[in-house]
Amino acid sequence: MSRYRYPALPESEVTPKALFDARRRFLRRGVALGAAAAAPGLLWPRDAAAWREALQGRLDDDLDTRRLAGGEATTDYEDATSYNNFYELGNRKSDPEVFAHKLVTDPWSLTVEGEVDKPGTLALEDVLARETLEERIYRLRCVEAWSMVIPWIGFPLRDLLERHGPTSRAKYVLFEAIHDPDNLRGQRRSILDWPYREALRIDEAMHPLTLLAVGMYGEIMPNQNGAPIRLVVPWKYGFKSIKSVVRIALTEERPTPSWVAQNPEEYGFYANVNPHVDHPRWTQARERRIGERGKRETLMFNGYGDEVADLYSGMDLDRHY
Amino acid sequence: MLSARSCITAFRLLVLAGCATPGLWIGWQWFYGDLGAVPSEAVVHFTGRTGLILLLTTIAFGPAFRLTGWVGFMIARRQIGLWAFFWLLAHMLSWIGLDQYWDWPWIVKDMVDLPYVRYGVAGLTLLVPLAVTSFKRVRQAMGEHAWHWLHRLVYVSAALGVTHLWILTRADYLMPSLFLAVLLLLVAFRIVDAILHRQ
Repeated sequence: MSRYRYPALPESEVTPKALFDARRRFLRRGVALGAAAAAPGLLWPRDAAAWREALQGRLDDDLDTRRLAGGEATTDYEDATSYNNFYELGNRKSDPEVFAHKLVTDPWSLTVEGEVDKPGTLALEDVLARETLEERIYRLRCVEAWSMVIPWIGFPLRDLLERHGPTSRAKYVLFEAIHDPDNLRGQRRSILDWPYREALRIDEAMHPLTLLAVGMYGEIMPNQNGAPIRLVVPWKYGFKSIKSVVRIALTEERPTPSWVAQNPEEYGFYANVNPHVDHPRWTQARERRIGERGKRETLMFNGYGDEVADLYSGMDLDRHY
Repeated sequence: MLSARSCITAFRLLVLAGCATPGLWIGWQWFYGDLGAVPSEAVVHFTGRTGLILLLTTIAFGPAFRLTGWVGFMIARRQIGLWAFFWLLAHMLSWIGLDQYWDWPWIVKDMVDLPYVRYGVAGLTLLVPLAVTSFKRVRQAMGEHAWHWLHRLVYVSAALGVTHLWILTRADYLMPSLFLAVLLLLVAFRIVDAILHRQ
């Protein structure tokens, strides 16, 4: 009996990427339409902005506020929404605000998968319905040596992860942001390996300070700040706090975040705020607080050492930067 | 028709306008608070970029003269070179005053510790003797040969400036690549020209 040979596929039969993508879009729409038609009692597809309406209602209630920035003044809303790093929308600080409308957030769903007992993809409104929202005022320290104080609105990441039941093999948590090069100008250039990826160790992810934020300054998250749902890890450099998250995967192996892949010499996996370990090209000892003159001394773990230093006991933070 | 003399005068006025207008623009923006969340950073970036563009333009006036034979380029070169020096000086002063807020211990520490600051300071320092010797009398006292040798430092200064910008860049190297390409083109022209016209 002759051995079976896989037929060789000529290059000419490979589907062009544009066609492939178009087909995928068509299928997605078909699925959405089918789901809408099948939903009992729903004549129309579910409102794309359902999460927005649900969230707005919740924001109008009084939320508990925890002030965790040592009483430092919050940054002006205007500054916090016009001076951003969100390379998907362009790499000048003003680009994210200018191109904010290019980020399509309605509808939005979040996938939780990997080492969990209950994986699943949920519409954002269903994610929000499960969680208790609160306001948290945190410092935000960018790796570029500037900082802000932001009143976030969100819920602990831990609450969400526990609902999905992490298995004993869940050692790390990978976050993936939106990938939409048709609309996001930054993703049409390969300055980073898109989509943007970030990751935390499971104990960091389960830490009570680690937040999934859906709003700030009492409002729904502005697009340029990572709408509709983003991570906030206040003791790490800002690039760890990934914006516009679509997927969370619990893993056994340590994932490689986008910035680590881009330049492992300059960006470490941990990226804890540390005034004693300089970025190879600039100093991390001081920072410019947006809205202030001159500079401030940068605090170890961005001032959250009492809460998080235990996570790293015994680790050489010069090496694990 | 304009006479040759008026052409040169018009060109000198054009250079004046080209070098001074960015200053009016940034001053206007500063005054009306249009420079965003961190105006000091915007000023430092703008003065640096303008200075480097003018420095490369100064260098480009040489090739422009070689290619067109029009003396206007040589006559206006001192003028634009001094403007480049002025803008780069403004760049350093705005970094010291607006960004570092006159915090001298830190300014000195950054100059010692940070490669991009070192390259920047070195590039600007090299321009000082060029600015000083740009006056006609000094030039005549030096003699043309020595003067020309000294003023080749402008290439070193521009290379340091591009390096300074390159080091500072995060992720997107489009702009520094353009500056580097222009500098390499100018150096290549200078070398080819020297070989072709060796006497």
